[in-house]
Amino acid sequence: MLGLFGTLSMANRSLQTQRAGTEVAGHNLANVNTPGYSRQRVDIDTSIAIPSEMGPQGTGADAVGIQQIRDVLLDRQIVTETSVRGAYEAKQKALQLGQAALGQQIDRQATGAAGSAAASGIGGQHGIAEEMSDLFNAFRGLAASATSMPARQEVIKTAQDLATQFNQVSTRLANLRTSLNDSLASDVAQANLALSDIAKLNEQIVAVEIGTPAKANDLRDARQKRIEDLAKLVNITTTANPNGSVDIAIDGVPLVVGPIVQDTLETYDAGGGQFLVRTVTGGTTLNLTGGTMQGTIDARDNDLTTLQTSIDTLAATLISEVNTVHGAGFGRNGTSGEAFFTGATAADIGVNTNLANDPWMIQAGGVAGAPGDNTVAVQLGQLADVNHAALSNQTFQENYGQSVAALGQALNGTNTQLTNQQLVENMLLRQRDSVSGVSLDEEMTDLIKFQRAFEASAKLIVTVDELLQTVLSLKR
Amino acid sequence: MRVTANTFPNSLLQQLNSLSQRQNKLQNQAATGQRVQLPEDDPVAMHRVLDLQAEGKAVNQYQRNIARLQEVATDSFTSIKALKTVSDRAREISISADGLKSQDELNIFANEVTQLIKRAVHTVNAKNQGDYLFSGTLSDQAAYVMTTDANGNVTGVTYQGNTTLAESEIASGVTLGPYTIGENNSGSGPRGLITDNRVGADFFNHLISLQNNLLAGNVAAIETTDRANLSQDEDNFLYHLGTNGAIQSRLETTNAIADQRTDTLEVLVSKEADADLAETLVRLNQTQTAYQAALQSAGKILGSSLLDYLR
Repeated sequence: MLGLFGTLSMANRSLQTQRAGTEVAGHNLANVNTPGYSRQRVDIDTSIAIPSEMGPQGTGADAVGIQQIRDVLLDRQIVTETSVRGAYEAKQKALQLGQAALGQQIDRQATGAAGSAAASGIGGQHGIAEEMSDLFNAFRGLAASATSMPARQEVIKTAQDLATQFNQVSTRLANLRTSLNDSLASDVAQANLALSDIAKLNEQIVAVEIGTPAKANDLRDARQKRIEDLAKLVNITTTANPNGSVDIAIDGVPLVVGPIVQDTLETYDAGGGQFLVRTVTGGTTLNLTGGTMQGTIDARDNDLTTLQTSIDTLAATLISEVNTVHGAGFGRNGTSGEAFFTGATAADIGVNTNLANDPWMIQAGGVAGAPGDNTVAVQLGQLADVNHAALSNQTFQENYGQSVAALGQALNGTNTQLTNQQLVENMLLRQRDSVSGVSLDEEMTDLIKFQRAFEASAKLIVTVDELLQTVLSLKR
Repeated sequence: MRVTANTFPNSLLQQLNSLSQRQNKLQNQAATGQRVQLPEDDPVAMHRVLDLQAEGKAVNQYQRNIARLQEVATDSFTSIKALKTVSDRAREISISADGLKSQDELNIFANEVTQLIKRAVHTVNAKNQGDYLFSGTLSDQAAYVMTTDANGNVTGVTYQGNTTLAESEIASGVTLGPYTIGENNSGSGPRGLITDNRVGADFFNHLISLQNNLLAGNVAAIETTDRANLSQDEDNFLYHLGTNGAIQSRLETTNAIADQRTDTLEVLVSKEADADLAETLVRLNQTQTAYQAALQSAGKILGSSLLDYLR
């Protein structure tokens, strides 16, 4: 038998147990909007029964622990999918910037010079396509008016516009490359910070959990959040240890082992401004397969490099072809052999200043001293329709259109993949929220439940107190 | 499925975000009338539209070239017609100048022929936008220069141009020259307007010969030689008038084809790039309704809580 004092003690423990329940519900309520928080439950067990004449007799209940409601499988999947999403997001961002750098769009409402209607309702293009079209049309116009100064000025103006457009696109793409390298370095710095945080949290978790079955729930939440932060930056492999710590490895290279950061990340120039990621101490080049770092590198080294190369090849072929034809012609003042374009790539293409200063020097004629001869101007105009070997047997326009379409396809594909990936990740997050998320309704109900139990336990104390007073009054 | 405190707000945010993106895209399509604006919208269509627009702009340039060539052809036609009028009068004089005319009358005819030569030289030196029309590609030089003696009679008219014709593109890979050269005695190439040894045309020399024979009273030479020579010149003018007409007709036909091509290109570009406004607006309406429904339902759900019922 417990006796009155035993019952009083039981009521006291019951109060503590119900209060623990109230505290956990309160903790859950306080963290309802905390990112990465998993709901907790107090584990209540019946106290050890004591033998009595009636058999084993219950002695109430004890709060034996606080349990975190978490699905490890879901957590691991979310870490993996976060890496994939990070890669697509970074690639999308880089390609969108590439698209903006190219500046190519269709404007069906476009108007021509001084607000006049654009080419019979087909609209304008904006970008290299329009300027290139204008140049060849200016050559064709010059052929029809070989002795016209305005026609020659139009050729110079359109050529300068095209050259400027090439220069700007090239500069923007080069700046974008630099920005992507900076972004990669920033991601690496954040990843190193996350590695350090995870190691510290490992240390704290092990210190709290050592020698006790209790879990460092909030620390584990914080660590899981940092692991997911890291996974968004770079694909990682996690290994849970029996002591509660988690090891982190990238591309098979262990970076965090228990409480120790064994190695960190850094960027390095693999040549030609191609910044990659390697470990600092081991110097191992990492083959990244996910995360924003990989997305950035992928966009930079594939689609954007292809775009820049194709724009350079286009500019180089244009310079070479136009100069070859133009060089063989004769200017109005008898000059010959002058280059039309200067430079060798999109970055430095320009119009020969001699021609710009004196458009009569444009070598439109095929023979000297015949101002009405337009043979070379006709040939220059016809270059637009010629398939060039250097451009995979395409015309200038076709080749440029293909470059634009290739970038568009890469971005369009990434958009679709990212949308799909977000759907997958959202489903997983919803599932995790369903398991680990805090429900206000549940917590409020629990609060009432524990409050009522607390009140009942208090009532037990009052009752036992009255019983004790009755017993004590027997002596009077 | 267990629904927690953040399930609703998170789902609502995702739904509203998705609907906002769709509304933005549809509104943009409705405002611009375009389905494709950027490469990412539809890369294949973008590629096709760029090619079609480049072709459209080239066709427009060809039409501007055609207009320019038509102007040259029309001016050339006017000059050739005027030369034909001169030729007609010279032929009339050559017929009128028979043995019944006195020397005074022949002198008056000779004076008229001299004036006709000067008029013809002036006509054949016609310019268009600063370029001499009949000098070949030596368009900065007058086609013909004339020399006269002390009495004002024409002693010679010399061609200063060349035998090269400038041609311009009027369609992709198609070139056409509306010009006519003054003289070609090389035996090949374009036919000369004034002089061409293949057809016996040598208008100025024939006129000078007529002028001189009239002054000399050599009526027999006029009858036997000048009249026949002038007839050959007249045939040559008729040939050039016909050729010019054919060129103008070809230019008009090419222009009409270019017009049709522009219309076709407009349709093709529209098919690729334009949004179906009716469909776009219906879908925009649907999306707006869904957005409002999401806001309204969420407002009701988020607004009610167990806390409202607890004291």
